[in-house]
Amino acid sequence: MSNLHESESGHRKVVLVGNPNVGKSVLFNALTGSYSVVSNYPGTSVEVLRGDATIDAQTYRVLDTPGMYSLLPITEEERVGRTILLTEAAEVVVHVIDARNIERMLPMTLQLIEAGLPVILAVNILDEAERLGMTIDIPLLSKRLGIPVVGAAFARKRGYEELCAAIASYTGPAGRAFTYAADLEQDMARIAASMHGRYSLDRRALALLLLQKDEELTAQVATAEGAGFTAIETALREVIFERRSDLHLTISMERRRLCRSLLDGVVVQSAGPGTSLADRLSDISLNLWTGVPLLLLILYFVLYVFVGQFGAGTLVDFFEGYLFEEWINPFVIHLGNDYLPWYWLRELIVGEYGVFTLGVRYAVALIMPIVGTFFLAFSVLEDSGYFPRLALLVDRLFKRFGMSGRAVIPIVLGLGCDTMATMVTRTLETVRERIIATVLLALAIPCSAQLGVIMGLLSEVPGALAIWTGVIVLIFIVIGLLSAQLLPGEKPVFYMEVPPLRMPQLRNVLVKTLSRMHWYFFEIFPLFVIASVLLWAGKMSGGLKALVSLMEPTMHLLGLPNEAAAVFVFGFFRRDFGAAGLYDMQTSGLLSATQLTVAAVTLTLFVPCVAQFLMMKKERGWGVSLGIFVFVTLTAFGVGALLNKLLIVTGFGL
Amino acid sequence: MICSNCQREIPDQPDPQQESCGACGGGCRKVHCPYCGYANPVVPGFLQRFARGGSKKEKD
Repeated sequence: MSNLHESESGHRKVVLVGNPNVGKSVLFNALTGSYSVVSNYPGTSVEVLRGDATIDAQTYRVLDTPGMYSLLPITEEERVGRTILLTEAAEVVVHVIDARNIERMLPMTLQLIEAGLPVILAVNILDEAERLGMTIDIPLLSKRLGIPVVGAAFARKRGYEELCAAIASYTGPAGRAFTYAADLEQDMARIAASMHGRYSLDRRALALLLLQKDEELTAQVATAEGAGFTAIETALREVIFERRSDLHLTISMERRRLCRSLLDGVVVQSAGPGTSLADRLSDISLNLWTGVPLLLLILYFVLYVFVGQFGAGTLVDFFEGYLFEEWINPFVIHLGNDYLPWYWLRELIVGEYGVFTLGVRYAVALIMPIVGTFFLAFSVLEDSGYFPRLALLVDRLFKRFGMSGRAVIPIVLGLGCDTMATMVTRTLETVRERIIATVLLALAIPCSAQLGVIMGLLSEVPGALAIWTGVIVLIFIVIGLLSAQLLPGEKPVFYMEVPPLRMPQLRNVLVKTLSRMHWYFFEIFPLFVIASVLLWAGKMSGGLKALVSLMEPTMHLLGLPNEAAAVFVFGFFRRDFGAAGLYDMQTSGLLSATQLTVAAVTLTLFVPCVAQFLMMKKERGWGVSLGIFVFVTLTAFGVGALLNKLLIVTGFGL
Repeated sequence: MICSNCQREIPDQPDPQQESCGACGGGCRKVHCPYCGYANPVVPGFLQRFARGGSKKEKD
């Protein structure tokens, strides 16, 4: 090979690349022995390992790059990995992949080959893949890719000798090009033809990265081309305008298609132990006819039985009904009455809206058991890899609402906390999609604690839960469809890699559940205390009474007692605070079955809490967020009033 | 840290361009996956040792 590939020390370079956790470091250690140098890549905090290896009497400088998923970088680690590939002039680039996930990892091999890099593919962890019933035809894969391919299990020293032999006998990149769809090929050719500078990447590959708006490479091309860059810029703009789609997505899907055809006949999966059940479940969860019933089963058992009946029923009965009502509250109120001489202070600590009797009790006895059970169930589903499947399942339905399956992430997160979910809407592809998701989160997605309390409350009343669910789902669908019709904008495209379905790991589930509870308590406790202090101040100053009086006509419209106004005021502080207030009213016997149903529906649809409103303002600006606020408030009270009339007239289910 | 949604590895060093939503009292306790946007909970200090026990089998 030419001297270009020799480093300053005269050693040829071998660069190891690949996803995290595929065995690059095991290979690095095997190649270099115990001696290596760890240093931060210049200008970054990313560590790069360098060491020397002797292969066939030739010394090589080996570089272990940080984990990367693609040549189009997203993280700093990936940027450093790519810079090494582009600037270090490697003799050989060893792409290490995990045999078990060959379909997910092969697209990067294609990128490396297209870029004109001297690639050897190491299909690692082959022993595990074989144990799972996979057979990979390595010679056939090598022939199809046009590069040397080595099957390996580096942790067991398998394939090491073959890799060393492949490195020693490597003769240079094959210059293989893979054929994309005709329109994409045309676009690439058009951009590549406008380039005249010298680049370390193949021009075709460079064109693909420029089409995906790679800022770093665009700047490099602008410098290299000088005045000629205007022609490239114009061509890029025209292509992006003509296609009117996310080219990153189109290119990723094309590459997937190529990989599937390359792997056809290369990978054979027999029914091995541990795979068949997971694969079958995965297929069931993705198929519309089986996936929807599975989703309904999950919702029934997870939300209704586990969170609603066990969390909000059994556990709350124990904490609130037994521990607080019978033991802790009487003791603390007795202490307060004995030792707090001033009325205002007694009210502040142990009064109707006292810090202890309201704030602490709501947080510990009502909300903690509910969010605890919800987070536990959520973590089990999350760790199993179900959520990406859910995203793909509902993609078709969400498209009717002007959103894609990607919107499942904020919508599902909204069931935990709507504030955080509102922020996550920024990951959606189009502005239209973000606005629709924000409206639906504000209107029809209850947060975990609110959902749990409402489930617990309504499961006691026959028919109430069915009506509540029906109304919320109906509003979700109607508002989604209307928003999609009324809001102009691009139709989103959705594509997502589906990670393997797996048995949830007990340790992961515990860590995730406890981490979430820790987060929730840090947030909820001070806010519940602050909310009870504000309510106390309102009571002492008469402000709360005035506010409740102001809301009396609305309560009348909803058919609710005047005291229910306080619940809506609570709800604006926090959704779950409002739901807990509703729980208090119900257990005090202040609500009939109809009133409970109407209040639960209105409260669920009612304005988002303060934190969510501020997040909406931050993400969407004052105009949009105030518009959503007014729309949601009117819809909530309108639907509540209508439901009240309907239930009274029909007496349906109650 | 592995993203709970897409199962890709999230770098230890958070991207300085990523903002927190500011909703958590006492600072952000979420790590947003740079690949899929999912909000993963940050493992608190007292759980880190226990959590690390699960990653002994890492290949890299």
